[in-house]
Amino acid sequence: MATLNSTGGPGVGVLEGNALLGWLYSRRDQILVLLILIAGWHGLSLLLGTYWIGTPWGVAVRLYNGLLNGEIIRHSSYTLAEALAGFAIGGIPAAVLPFLLRRLPIVTAILDPFMVGGYGSPKLALAPLFILWFGIGLESKIALVAFTVFFIVYFSTLSGIRALDTKLVQMAQVMGASEAKVARYIIFPGAVPHIFTGFRIAMPYSIGGAVVAEIISANRGLGYLIQLRSMNFDTTGVFVALVAVCVVVFLSNLVVNVVERRLLRWRPPSDVTAQKE
Amino acid sequence: MSALLEVRGLAKRFASRAGREPSPWIIQNLSFSVNEGEFLTIIGPSGGGKTTLLNMIAQIDCASDGEIRFQSQIAPVNDLKALKPGLDCKIGYVTQEDNLLPWRTCIDNVLFPLQVQGKLNDETKARAQNLIRAVGLAGWENHYPHELSGGMRKRTSLIRTLVYDPPVILMDEPFGALDAQTRLQLQDDLLRLWNLGRKTIVFVTHDIAEAIALGDRAIVLTRQPSQVAGEHRITIPRPRDIRGIMTHPEFVDLYQRIRAQVQ
Repeated sequence: MATLNSTGGPGVGVLEGNALLGWLYSRRDQILVLLILIAGWHGLSLLLGTYWIGTPWGVAVRLYNGLLNGEIIRHSSYTLAEALAGFAIGGIPAAVLPFLLRRLPIVTAILDPFMVGGYGSPKLALAPLFILWFGIGLESKIALVAFTVFFIVYFSTLSGIRALDTKLVQMAQVMGASEAKVARYIIFPGAVPHIFTGFRIAMPYSIGGAVVAEIISANRGLGYLIQLRSMNFDTTGVFVALVAVCVVVFLSNLVVNVVERRLLRWRPPSDVTAQKE
Repeated sequence: MSALLEVRGLAKRFASRAGREPSPWIIQNLSFSVNEGEFLTIIGPSGGGKTTLLNMIAQIDCASDGEIRFQSQIAPVNDLKALKPGLDCKIGYVTQEDNLLPWRTCIDNVLFPLQVQGKLNDETKARAQNLIRAVGLAGWENHYPHELSGGMRKRTSLIRTLVYDPPVILMDEPFGALDAQTRLQLQDDLLRLWNLGRKTIVFVTHDIAEAIALGDRAIVLTRQPSQVAGEHRITIPRPRDIRGIMTHPEFVDLYQRIRAQVQ
């Protein structure tokens, strides 16, 4: 056993190294874009001075320190918790409601202008109201996020149900499927891709909504951090918080994508990025 | 033999919208019957209301006039709300498009009717597996429809109806969109499967050769509004060789007589 391990060990290590290099190689275009952005950022900070734009290196050092002392993680987790709670409270009813309204076209039509109004209303203008109603704690942020997410997911799900091929429904009815079984086996699975499109669009909005509400009034969270540091003219600090927001959005998007890919394995690869993999 | 399915004086025109001329009759005064265990083929020109006819028999569309009797019972075909699609799983329908559920694998599509009818058990599952093997889909069970060829999708769609064994199966140009070779293979498969069970089949096509090769009896429909233009008994003995049937003397004779009737 010992000899096996000693011979196997380095081989595995080499393979892992190759896998990492391979991954970096497959992402070379994205890495190139990232490097160009960082270079442009650095150029601007040299040109305008660090008072206006913190250097990438300075931001990296502050970010590292912030991560070490737990400050970034703490504020990120507040923001993320608000975003997730609002996402669930707004997103789940929005994904269910169109199914309940499916057999009630008149009710759907009555609700439509109100839904469009809610969808189009500027969320930034609503934030002060929610803070007035729900206080400066987590609740007002969750309410704003839920309000934002609800309409995005509602309209996505609704379009998914409307886009369904009626021939599939007829086929199921001919085979003896009851109304409930048509809903369960045809309409729901057919709408899942659209529900996920809604989730994918709503996810960054939910984090953005939480940050905006925090900027207006909060005592914690990444938005609070941005607000506090900009009051202190700490540009580098603002950049650190912004990078943290970007990372949180990136990671949550990754989670949505993984779940979506798992649930929608049946779909033919249609976009260019999927074909490349 | 008793008539299992009877169509009497059937007529269909689509509802006209306000302010427009009433839409023309698609089917008018159409009558025919299908016997138990008979393979009936219906030949009609493209756009001649063949799909509409099958939709009415399958109870997913209503008729403007006339009646349809199934097992001597009048089917509720004149009222859209009273329609009973598939009439309690007794009328199977293989549509022109395969209409497979894209989120289900080949085997799960075949098992779908059993699942919604609550008849999913070891026996029916074994039956599904047998059908999959019989049409050469073994090894493709766990593939999604988009991963299957047109012919494989068609086979899946066909056995999805065969698996729950409805007394009558309607087929709407099921092999229309396939290449000649696949088409012959599938016609051959269909005849082989039919010989095992001798189900009642109403098979609609615009292809005269297909209608003669498959059927016990062929009905020719006129152009719109569709009516019966002629009826032909096909006595070519079974089992038939689908590839060699074109040279059979009865085939040649029937082909010419039917072609004269198809406008």
